[in-house]
Amino acid sequence: MKRILIVVVLIVLGYFILNAVQLDYGRPRSGISEYYVANGVAETGALNLVTAIYLNYRVYDTLGEATVFFASALGVYMLLRKLKKGEPDG
Amino acid sequence: MDRRSTIVRTLTRKLFPFILLYGCYLISHGHLSPGGGFQGGVIIGSAIILLGLVDGVRNAEKRFHENLLSLTKNIGMIIFILLGFAGMFMGYSFLSDFLPRGEIGTVPSTGLILLLNLTIGFMVGTGIAVIFYRTVRHKL
Repeated sequence: MKRILIVVVLIVLGYFILNAVQLDYGRPRSGISEYYVANGVAETGALNLVTAIYLNYRVYDTLGEATVFFASALGVYMLLRKLKKGEPDG
Repeated sequence: MDRRSTIVRTLTRKLFPFILLYGCYLISHGHLSPGGGFQGGVIIGSAIILLGLVDGVRNAEKRFHENLLSLTKNIGMIIFILLGFAGMFMGYSFLSDFLPRGEIGTVPSTGLILLLNLTIGFMVGTGIAVIFYRTVRHKL
């Protein structure tokens, strides 16, 4: 009984995964990637197009990332207490 | 108390400045080659973590004090936002590129990207070191 259930679950999952894999993700919807490749170096001056995108075209996203990192570091700094004098360190 | 191996300690002391140098190289050449602020910052932070693991956090704090690292992290975040507002004061939109540019392929070829990479790099490196210090020395 248990084995039949496992087989049925696997078949259903495989069906969903097969459907998800067969979706058509290959079509460029907006053509913005061709624009970046063609004009990125001239507009930003950065030879590394990844940097050109995340620090020029999408710099708000990077500001958010930096803020998230800053908030997490600040949270650790605030929550974990400092070691007293004389206590051995890890 | 000396329970760490001599080989590991000596190698760490010899290797430490080169790891820092490599991190700075990745940060400053982030717009020309693979790398960037986050990656170079993580390498700088891992160098400090290595020093803390091998020499002990107390000895690592003689060179890189926790308050200094935390201050660098905070100042980096403030400078990031101030650079964004500087673009507004120069007449462009927030965080836009307002600096003059050099020849493409050299380090000053991008105006604001280099500065943002530098601030992100030092912020990430010192922030990771601060997280490591606090996590290691935390006693429940």
